[in-house]
Amino acid sequence: MVISLSSNGDHHALDEARAEVAEAESLGSPEVALAVHATSGPARSPLATLAWIAPGSIWLILFLIAPLLMIVLVSLWQRTPVGFEPFSFTFEAYTRIFDTPVYLNTLRDTIIRAIIVTGLCILIGYPIAFFLARCVKTIKFQIALFIVVLAPFWVAYVVRIIAWLPVLGRQGVINYFLVDVINVVDEPISALFYSTFAITLALVQLYVLFMVTPIFFQLATLDNAAIEAARDLGANPGKVFREVIFPLSLPGVLIGCIFVFVLVMGEFATVRIIGGGTIQSVGTLVNDYYTIPDLPAAAAAATILVAVMTVGVAILLRFSKIREVV
Amino acid sequence: MSNTGLVLKDVYRIFPGNVTAVSDVNLEISNGEYIVFLGPSGCGKTTTLRMIGGHDDPSSGTITIDGELLNGVNPAKRPITTVFQHYALFPHKSVLQNVEFGLKMQGVDKTAREEQAKAAIDLVGLSAMMDRKPRELSGGQQQRVALARVLVTRPKAILLDEPLGGLDRLLQMKMRVELRALQRELGITFIHVTHNQEEALSMADRIVVMGDAIVQQVGTPEHLARHPRNEFVAKFMGDNNVLHGKISAASGGVVTIDTPYGKVEADGTGTVGEEGAISVRASVVKISTDAVPSINGVKVRLDFAEYLGDSVKLHMDLDGKPFMAKVHEDRYAEIRAYEGKDVTATWAREDGHLLEQ
Repeated sequence: MVISLSSNGDHHALDEARAEVAEAESLGSPEVALAVHATSGPARSPLATLAWIAPGSIWLILFLIAPLLMIVLVSLWQRTPVGFEPFSFTFEAYTRIFDTPVYLNTLRDTIIRAIIVTGLCILIGYPIAFFLARCVKTIKFQIALFIVVLAPFWVAYVVRIIAWLPVLGRQGVINYFLVDVINVVDEPISALFYSTFAITLALVQLYVLFMVTPIFFQLATLDNAAIEAARDLGANPGKVFREVIFPLSLPGVLIGCIFVFVLVMGEFATVRIIGGGTIQSVGTLVNDYYTIPDLPAAAAAATILVAVMTVGVAILLRFSKIREVV
Repeated sequence: MSNTGLVLKDVYRIFPGNVTAVSDVNLEISNGEYIVFLGPSGCGKTTTLRMIGGHDDPSSGTITIDGELLNGVNPAKRPITTVFQHYALFPHKSVLQNVEFGLKMQGVDKTAREEQAKAAIDLVGLSAMMDRKPRELSGGQQQRVALARVLVTRPKAILLDEPLGGLDRLLQMKMRVELRALQRELGITFIHVTHNQEEALSMADRIVVMGDAIVQQVGTPEHLARHPRNEFVAKFMGDNNVLHGKISAASGGVVTIDTPYGKVEADGTGTVGEEGAISVRASVVKISTDAVPSINGVKVRLDFAEYLGDSVKLHMDLDGKPFMAKVHEDRYAEIRAYEGKDVTATWAREDGHLLEQ
């Protein structure tokens, strides 16, 4: 069926008007104005350009690229009993860590853990961010609650991890409840603490804020007019969320995912303390190689980790097409 | 169902804190009319529009369309849709997805709604850009997508909130013609809100001038330009000179007012001794170097002649107050010679217009 908007009169007047608008747009379009402006700006000397980009570049080279290159180089050098022999290139460190299945298994577990923790952070963090940004009406109250959400971050990282001990430990609250209060078990369960479950729980608690924050800011700055327009066109609250709010909040979710994924992939202390040596991550493996000492193997393990994280972030960016949303 | 159009009866909107945003609005808008709400910011025009659209509710009074009461009816359930300021397109959806949104929400199945959406996109001349995202379109094209998005739901009336506000001037002037042509072709009621007098005059079948929360005057563009009802309208429409004084005579349908600048006469009735004011359009004022007549003439100093292409606007000084005249473009050279000098401004009695107090 063709749209039955009743049409009285011929198309002529409308077509003519439209042609004029097209002409006006080609004359005075902002893109054209912008392009003219960009090319007619004062010319900057190459030296000045260099001076502008120097601080950022030096920072990046000193604190990111140089250390990374160093790690890659060390991973390719010969191991010696006390360290390594510079410029003695070999792949032995890589063959060493792939000799046993330990590294690959740990890498797999680390990736799975990172994915699970990231997923849980979305499930827990999104509702918190949504509540803060869309349900709390006044900005004052919003900021106040946001600071409360941030509160755990005022406590040192290791303290936050160790704080789980009185909760999940053998003499912790949960075991006390299970054994002494309701008597469902005879012995305190030690697996509560030294377990994958405990690590996951602690990691989610540690990193959920990195999910809440970007989603909160994305939701708080959403275009309310688009939401009003959706309602005007007949969308109920559920559909407004599914069709407008959620898709528009995805860039925030994506940034949160990158934060949490990268942080959990590199996790070391939480796994060591709560895992109690029974559970490994690539981070703890690197530490193990380091203490043997096998510095080239530690460097090789770290190099592979960085490569895998980079691929992970690239996949996230690729699938979400972040630039297309906003 | 009757065909009485949109009727606002005794509509008030009082915001918390006893702020009166809209007061005593009574309007009857026929189906197919192009209505422009005109007024300065804060005059209540947008609040009135929001009440018609269902985004706000009147504190008292009724709004009906074709006899159907709209008070309390959800915006989505009204046969009226809004084109929001800055268009409010969904940035993550393509042109087609934006336009079919309303039908999707009504539960129209995919093939039917795509067909209807494509017809609406065709109607606004954007068939070639169906799959683009809003940010890949120019301002005028986004405007058309916003129009197609509301047209597809086949409303009885479309509300446009400052629809040309975001466009540059040249494009604004062309879009006026396009919007008007589209409205004529569709025969749907358009209610358009703006603070731009020129835009209102050029587009409306009838203009509703709002000020201080009330409707100041309703009329055709020509009527408003020629017969502003009161001082607010005369001043807001621009290009009107208002002269105040005391009524010194009123007989035979002619009122004489003594102003500090001389006597003026206009058609109308009044009470001797009361305050009176007349409005004189800039374009009816005649400029000469003749002696000042005893009635309907003032001595002014010409400060500046502004060339407008088809006319020349004369900015003059009447004893410290601004006074305006508009003369034909071909007198520019002649008139400029008088800049800084005293000239005489006169007008015919029937061109002076008695204002309501």
